[in-house]
Amino acid sequence: METNRRDFLKGIGAAATGGALGFPAVVRAQTRKGIPAEPVKIGLLAIRAGVAAPVGAAGQRGVEWWAERVNKAGGILGRKAELVLEEESSPKDTVERFRKLALQTKVDVIVGGISTAVGLALGPVAEELAMLWLSWDATTQKGVEETMPKPKFAFRSVDNEVEAIGGAILTAKYFKGVKTIAGINNDYSYGRDCWDAFQAVLKRYTPDVKPVLDLWPKLGVTDFTSHIAAIQQAKPDLLMTSFWSGDTTILLKQAAAVGLFKSMKGCFTTGGGVHDSLKKSFTPEGLVLGYNSMYFNYAGASALQKQFVREYKAKHGEYPPYECDHGYFTVESYRAGVEKAYKAAGEWPSKEQVAKALEGIQVESLSGKRSWREDHVQMCNFFQGITTHKSEFDFVTIDPVEVLPTTKIMKPSTSTKLYEWINATFPLKS
Amino acid sequence: MRRAGLALVVALILAMPFVAGDYYVTLMLPFFAYSVILLGLNLLFGYTGLLSFGHALFIGVGAYAAAFLTSKFGVMHLEAILLAAAGAAVLIAAPIGGLCVRYVKIYFAMLTLAFGMLFHSFLLKFYFVTGGDEGMRVLQPFLLGFDLSQIPKVRFLTRPFYYYSVVVLAVATFVMWRIVSSPFGLCLRAIRDNPDKAQSLGVSVKRYRWYAFVISAAYAAVGGALLGPTTGQVDPNLAYWTHSGNIVFMMLLGGFANFFGPLVGALVFIFLQDTVMSIVPYWRLVFGAILALIVIAAPGGLMGLLDRRAVSWGEKSRQGGAPP
Repeated sequence: METNRRDFLKGIGAAATGGALGFPAVVRAQTRKGIPAEPVKIGLLAIRAGVAAPVGAAGQRGVEWWAERVNKAGGILGRKAELVLEEESSPKDTVERFRKLALQTKVDVIVGGISTAVGLALGPVAEELAMLWLSWDATTQKGVEETMPKPKFAFRSVDNEVEAIGGAILTAKYFKGVKTIAGINNDYSYGRDCWDAFQAVLKRYTPDVKPVLDLWPKLGVTDFTSHIAAIQQAKPDLLMTSFWSGDTTILLKQAAAVGLFKSMKGCFTTGGGVHDSLKKSFTPEGLVLGYNSMYFNYAGASALQKQFVREYKAKHGEYPPYECDHGYFTVESYRAGVEKAYKAAGEWPSKEQVAKALEGIQVESLSGKRSWREDHVQMCNFFQGITTHKSEFDFVTIDPVEVLPTTKIMKPSTSTKLYEWINATFPLKS
Repeated sequence: MRRAGLALVVALILAMPFVAGDYYVTLMLPFFAYSVILLGLNLLFGYTGLLSFGHALFIGVGAYAAAFLTSKFGVMHLEAILLAAAGAAVLIAAPIGGLCVRYVKIYFAMLTLAFGMLFHSFLLKFYFVTGGDEGMRVLQPFLLGFDLSQIPKVRFLTRPFYYYSVVVLAVATFVMWRIVSSPFGLCLRAIRDNPDKAQSLGVSVKRYRWYAFVISAAYAAVGGALLGPTTGQVDPNLAYWTHSGNIVFMMLLGGFANFFGPLVGALVFIFLQDTVMSIVPYWRLVFGAILALIVIAAPGGLMGLLDRRAVSWGEKSRQGGAPP
C-alpha cells in the first residue's frame, strides 16, 4: 500500500506518541545541553515507480521501522526523527529532489539512492551542497572504477560487482566440473560488470572455463523464450545471471516450462531480492541464490533481525528483502555518528563532524554488524547459498547458507584496480 | 497592456535570485532550458503543423555535446558549447529531417519517434563511448571566458549561470520572434493551414518544412546543453521517448497557438511537478488527468484560456458591461 508524505509523517509521529504513552518504561525525549528542540529531519530518496519500486518500498520500510523504534526510545539525543520522503527517478529529477531536501526542506541528512546512474549524479551534488548523503544501494562507480576516491559528505554502497564475485566463489565450490558457462544479464553497466567479474573470478578457480554465450535483455523485459532457446542451443554447463527484480521470477518460470535446469546448473547472484516470488513449483533446488546483505531466514540471525522479520511479515504480509537492511543501516549509522560526534563536540554536531565520525563506524544493523569503511564505502556480509525446497514456505530458501564478508569479496579500497586485485586474491586459500 | 505584462514578467525573472529561496531559483534553470527547446518545437508544431515525438533526440545531442566537450575535450567555454551543440544538431537533423518531412501527421510523428529511439539505443549500448546507462559528467563551464569554479556551485547556479541562461533565452526568443514574424514564418503558417495552396503559390513545402525541422533541432540542442551544467550529469533518459512526451505535454499545457504559450507550459509543468511529486506518489496519474482535461476542455492550453477571457472581457467592455 502506498502512503503519501503527510500520512507518512503522521504515522511516524503517531507511532512515537503512542510508543511513549504505551511504554512508560522507555526514555522520553530529553532536552540536552547544546541540542536543538526541533526534530531531526531525515530526507529519504526512494524509487516509487517502475520495476524497482518494490526495492524502494523495502528500503523505506526499513527506515520507518527504525524511526518508530528510535522515537519510542526518545529520538537522537532527545530529538525526534522526522522523515521527509521524495522520489528517486531519473538522475536529473533526483538531483532536483536532493536539492529540494537540502536547500528548501533543510534536512540534516539524506539517505537512499539505488541506481548507479543516480548515485553518480548525487555524489558530486552532495559534496557541492555539503550535505550528508548515505546511499542504500547506489555507488559512485563508473563501470568498476571509482569516480570519487575521497568524498567528504557522500557515503556509498558496496561495489557493484561484489555479488558476482561471491557467486563465482560458490560456483567453484559447489559445481565442480563446470567447463562452459553462459550469462544472461540486464543490458546496463551493472549487468555487464557482474558478468565480467564473475568470469574473471571463476577463471581463477577453473582456468579452462569457457564462456559460450552472453545475452543482454533490457531491464524490465518480460519474455525470455528466445533467450532460453538460445541457451538450450549453446548447452552450457552453467547459466549465470545478476537479475535482481521481477525478471528473475519470469526467467525461472519460463525456464521451468522447458526444464532448462535439468540439463545445467544455475547461479542467480542477486535473485534473492524477490525471494518470496520464487515459488517451489518452478524454482528448482540446487541453484546458487544470493540474498545480498540480509537473508530473512538465517538461523544465526540476531534478535533484532528476528523481531524485524516477524513484525514486517505481520504488517506487510511478506518476508523482508535485503533493501530494508540498507535502509535501516544508513539511519542507524547516522544516529550512532551523531552521538559519537556529540561526545567530542559537546553540542549538536555539524555535518562535517558527523561525516568524520561515520568514517570507520560500526553499528548493529538488521543483518548483524555493518560499518562504513574509512573511504565511505559500506562493509557488510553477503548471504548466498544453494536453493532447497525443505522449508515451511511455498518459495525456495537456501541451505547451506554461506556468509561472505566484504573484507573477502570486495576490493580493499576505492583506488584498487578490480581485475589486478582479483588476479592477486583468488583463488581464496580458505 | 501586453508589453506591460511582459515587462513585469521580465522584472520578476530578473529579481528572482534576490527574493526567492535558492531551491526555487535552481528550479528556474530547467525552465529556461525547456523554454528554448519549446520555442523550437513550437516552430515545428504550432507554426508548421508537424508534431515531433522524437525531439528528445536533439535535447540528448545538446546535453551529450556539453558532456563530451567539458569532460573529454576540455572545452569549457559555454558559448563554444552552445554553438557546437547547435552545429551538431544541424548536422544530425539535416538528413533525418530530409527523410521525415516527406511525411506528415502520424507518419511524421512515428518516424521522429523511431529516430529518437535509435539515438537513445546508441547512447545506451555504446557505453564505452557514451557511458551507457551511467551517463557522463558535465563539468562546470566557463561563462564569457570566466572560470567561476571558485564560487560555490549553488551560488554559481543561482547567480551567474541563472543570468546567463536568461540572456540565452532572451536571444533565442528574439530570434524566434523574428523568424515567425518574417515572410518565412508566414510561409510556414500557410503550409500548416493548407499545404496544397501554399505549393500552388510557389512555396516549396518540403524545403520549408525541412528548414523548420533543422531550426527546431538546433533550439532543442541549445536547451539540452543548458540542462547539463545544472544536473552535472547527462544520461540516456534525456533522449528517451517519455522525455519527448514531456515536452509535447508542456507545449499543450501552455498552448501552442500562442507564441509564449509553451513557455508558460514549461513553467507550470516544472513547478507543478515539483509540488505534486512531494505530496503524492501517484503524480504521474495526476499529470495524465491534467493532460486529458486540457485536450478535452481547453485545447488552446492555459494561454488559450487567458486569451478567451481577454476576448470576452474586451467584448463586455465594449458593450459597457462591468469587467469580471
